[in-house]
Amino acid sequence: MAVTGLGKVRNKRKQEEVEEVEKGPFVGAVDLEMQSEDEAEDEDQEGDDASDDGDVDEFPEIDAASDSEEESEEEEEEDTDDLNEEDTLDENSDADSDLHIFPKSKKVVSDITGQTKVVYPEIEPDYDSDSSTEDDPNRVGNIPMHWYDDLPHLGYNINGKRVLRPAKGDELDKFLQTVEDPNSWTTAFDKNAQMDKPLSAEELDIIRRLQAGENPDAEYDPYEPTIEWFTGKGKEEVMPLSSAPEPKRRWLPSKWEKQKIMKIVRAIRQGRIVGSKPTAADKKQQFYAIWNEPPSNQPPPLPAPKPKLPTNSESYNPPEEYLPTEEERKQWENTDPEDREGDYLPHKYPALRLVPAYDQFIKQRFNRQLDLYLAPRIQRVKLNVDPNSLLPKLPTPNSLRPFPNYKSLQFMHTKARVRCLSISPDGAWVASGDESGVISLWEVNVGREVKRWSLSSKVGAIEWCPRLDACFFVAGTEERLHFFIPPNISPAMLTMTQSTLAPPTLPPATQSSIKWISTSGATEDGPILTIELPSASGLSRQLTWHRKGDYLASVSSSETQGSVWMHQISRRHSQAPFKKIKGAVQMVLFHPTKPHFFVATQRYVRLYNLAEQKLLKTLMPGIKWISSMDVHPSGDHIIVGGYDRKLCWFDLELSEKPYKVLRYHSRAIRSLHFHPTYPLFASSSDDGSIQIFHARVYSDLMTDPLIVPLKILRGHDVQEGLGVLQIKWVNKQPWLVSAGADGSVSLWCS
Amino acid sequence: MASTSSSTMSSHPVVFTTQTPYALPSQKFMIPLDWKRYQLSQLINKALDLPKPIPFDFLVHGEILRTSLLEWRAENGIGEEDTLEIEYFESVMPPQRMSELPHEDWVSSVSCQIPQHFVTASYDGHLRLFDYSRNPLLDISVHQAPITSVCVLPSPLAETDSRILASSSHDLTACLTRISLGSEGPSASTVASLHLHTSPLSSISTDASGSHLLTSSWDGLIGVWDTSIPNDHQVHLDRGDDRKKRRKTAPENIKRKTPIAVLKSHTARVSKALFAAGEHAKGKAYSCGFDSTVRSWDVESGVCINTINVPERPMLNLAETPDGNILLGASTDRTVSIFDLRVSSLSSSTGIMMHSATPSCIATSESGKQQVVTGAYDGVARLWDLRSTKGAVTSFRVWDGMKVLAVDWVRDVVGIGGEGGMEVWRIDGGS
Repeated sequence: MAVTGLGKVRNKRKQEEVEEVEKGPFVGAVDLEMQSEDEAEDEDQEGDDASDDGDVDEFPEIDAASDSEEESEEEEEEDTDDLNEEDTLDENSDADSDLHIFPKSKKVVSDITGQTKVVYPEIEPDYDSDSSTEDDPNRVGNIPMHWYDDLPHLGYNINGKRVLRPAKGDELDKFLQTVEDPNSWTTAFDKNAQMDKPLSAEELDIIRRLQAGENPDAEYDPYEPTIEWFTGKGKEEVMPLSSAPEPKRRWLPSKWEKQKIMKIVRAIRQGRIVGSKPTAADKKQQFYAIWNEPPSNQPPPLPAPKPKLPTNSESYNPPEEYLPTEEERKQWENTDPEDREGDYLPHKYPALRLVPAYDQFIKQRFNRQLDLYLAPRIQRVKLNVDPNSLLPKLPTPNSLRPFPNYKSLQFMHTKARVRCLSISPDGAWVASGDESGVISLWEVNVGREVKRWSLSSKVGAIEWCPRLDACFFVAGTEERLHFFIPPNISPAMLTMTQSTLAPPTLPPATQSSIKWISTSGATEDGPILTIELPSASGLSRQLTWHRKGDYLASVSSSETQGSVWMHQISRRHSQAPFKKIKGAVQMVLFHPTKPHFFVATQRYVRLYNLAEQKLLKTLMPGIKWISSMDVHPSGDHIIVGGYDRKLCWFDLELSEKPYKVLRYHSRAIRSLHFHPTYPLFASSSDDGSIQIFHARVYSDLMTDPLIVPLKILRGHDVQEGLGVLQIKWVNKQPWLVSAGADGSVSLWCS
Repeated sequence: MASTSSSTMSSHPVVFTTQTPYALPSQKFMIPLDWKRYQLSQLINKALDLPKPIPFDFLVHGEILRTSLLEWRAENGIGEEDTLEIEYFESVMPPQRMSELPHEDWVSSVSCQIPQHFVTASYDGHLRLFDYSRNPLLDISVHQAPITSVCVLPSPLAETDSRILASSSHDLTACLTRISLGSEGPSASTVASLHLHTSPLSSISTDASGSHLLTSSWDGLIGVWDTSIPNDHQVHLDRGDDRKKRRKTAPENIKRKTPIAVLKSHTARVSKALFAAGEHAKGKAYSCGFDSTVRSWDVESGVCINTINVPERPMLNLAETPDGNILLGASTDRTVSIFDLRVSSLSSSTGIMMHSATPSCIATSESGKQQVVTGAYDGVARLWDLRSTKGAVTSFRVWDGMKVLAVDWVRDVVGIGGEGGMEVWRIDGGS
């Protein structure tokens, strides 16, 4: 195969050369090249023409020996090259021997040595002598020459001068020329020169060969001797193929495979291997037209940014000023890889061959694997943040003393749960009322009951009158409000109280559905004054005094419109302040300084101006069911608690939305109370706990109120889902009294 | 024993001193560092060769030794070479319950000042007199309202059977009741009522001679009274509508007295006022109140001499050691503050004794100078040594979950009154 291929290639080469030869003007140049190559290859054989032929014979032999170990393809190429050279050499030798185009050498006896020497004629190294620059005088190029047919010139020479058309004789002249010139039959018409030029010897030889039906290539030898490439001594090819007979295993089925397959087959038969169910996608192959979707109008993705060119510092041999100092190196090594400024340190090596292997190689490969995994390259350490540092900076509870932190004593109502309590304005007495109708009056500090009143119905609310010159409290029961005077008050105060509640001369009776019944002459054991609310008004849920102690507002539990009543003690007159109220009223409160009145319905807290009789504001706490509310002693803030455990702090100067919503109780909030003097408030809940908060309000309008949780007081038992029902602060002292559903009333001291 | 221990453990040079009759020769002892009170006490017993072992307590640098010497030394940073001076005294034995005097109502105050007798004041308005064999001798209905405090006026004649009891009450008055323990049987009669206050009275106390009384009240006033029984009423009750009631409760033979002076400076309830003890403190009084102050008064001029402000500690009770050096104030923040009166221009407490419940009453030992009994609302009475206030020397549970409201300590008898009536405990020792 290789041999025939060689032959083909060789034929091609020959044809090309024929074409070259036909072009004529390049012949000399080719010769020159050949000559020079020849000289370069065989320096020792200069001037020996006969030896050239012998050289041609030997050449392939040497080549074959040198190339025998190489691969076959390369070999082929090499062969063709060699042969090509060989061809040209052959041709050269032929030309030398037969035609003597090249100036003939002379053998001259040297004058000096007396020996014969070969002398070549001088070659003039002028412009024409260089074959590469020697060219046709006509420089028009390969254009149709009939363009110049009508012109006196043929074209232009290299200097731009016209090349004039040579004189052309007629047919007679031609004939005469052929007769006169013996070489005229070897001339051909040169298109560019527009005249006949004699053909060179090679061209003639090619023509002769073509005429003879031979290969036009002069040195093509159709009877070349066989080159024994692989035969003979020392040329045997060691073949990797063996003639050993093919082993049986090539065509016998494998026993082990069969066993393996049988094992699987058995497993399938016994049902141990269950083939995966064909999924829905498999059952029904989804074909879709991929071109159906309209082409996206998005701009093509941005090309990646070009990488930055390396800088001096990245050189293996950076200038001295780029090299890090010892401290810089240390600092760089000590910082985390993520925090380093660059990802390398400039390093100086005296020579490129001393640069070590890239030490980040494995790491980079690993990172690329991470990319393939879609894993982040940078391993972020989990943020190690102290959760406490995220909390707002609050002052420590210890710095906010005093506040109640332990249960000092407990007063027990044995019969029923205690719903309400009140503390006298001087902070000495507690009146607590339970659901069995018992009102106990006891000392705050000792917890000893000094007086007990038993009423017929359960007590829903108790409130001491805030007046300091009189001393009495009101207890709200079913449809009645009872006024009581505690024992052991000074005679002056007793007289004042009695004259307030049961004046000897009654003020003129007013038109009202509410009856005021004084029992001034009665014993100490009963109420001195009773207000009978309209029937079916239900249990008085809440009582609240105006700060001057003349007005008393009561809230009854009935859902009817007349649940809120305002009672004026001095005039013995009661009125319903609202003709119509949306929703059930939960609580009412007097503003501590202004003639304002807070009414908490189930969802909203409304602020009315009593003097102007209009609605000022509607606060929206976002609580589903408001249970309690209290107003800060300054009157600018209120807190609202709900059965849904939320506590909302409103700044009345600000919006109708809460300034802060706190949710810390696990059950419904039952009661809230601001301390009258200390910056404290407390909330009690059905989870049996009381939470104490520090609530400092600044007169500066820019500063927000500071609310700091201080203490959770536990100690009340939860009974039937009810926990601490009411809490009240002791006036002047940071003490808290709480009434629980378990029948206990506790005093919490600082 | 000492030699065997010292071979294994390093020791410390110690000199023992004492004020008890059991004195050791003054010489330096090398005491092993791991010794505690028990070993030291054994050492003294052995060294003195006492016939009956007496337990001793040890005071190092004014502090009762409760740990081993090594720990104590590490705590206090004493060098190894310094000679320690250790004072020892007889240990206080654990108190023993002697007897119970049940009452129907709470006992607000007890007094053991009458020899062989106890006086209790109850919330039902009665004064009761018991002897040591628990026999109720007298049951006097003095007040219509709860009595808050009672004190026995020391009689000038020691052996008379007639005494005057002063009691303060919620009914805005204090009463003087004369009791006689004659051979013909005990009898009592209320002789005078003290009218000043407009709020319930919190305490009444007498001076050492029994000539003057101090009453304190919730209205912030302190009344100074003499104990002479006037021949005529000094206050006129001219209220017609009250006449019926008054006639019933206040017969004409109870003379109504007015105070000789009113001490006015407290801004809140005065919870206790007492005369200063000691010879040099004649005519001086102390009071404490809910305004977190302890004030000292010159009773003669009725001027407040000094005010000690103890922030956020409303005072419930006050007591003074018999030598007049130390004032103790119980406050609602569960502490008993110690005021060392020897410090000039005292402005704050010099120490506190922490309780686990509200301390309500303090009694100082009549004989021992350094021991104090306090009662608290958790029903526990605690015995303290003023030299070491870190913890109580011993505590004894009087009632479970019932409040102790009053405590009095005379010699080795401690009377404790409270929710459960009255109990008598015995405390031995304590020099």
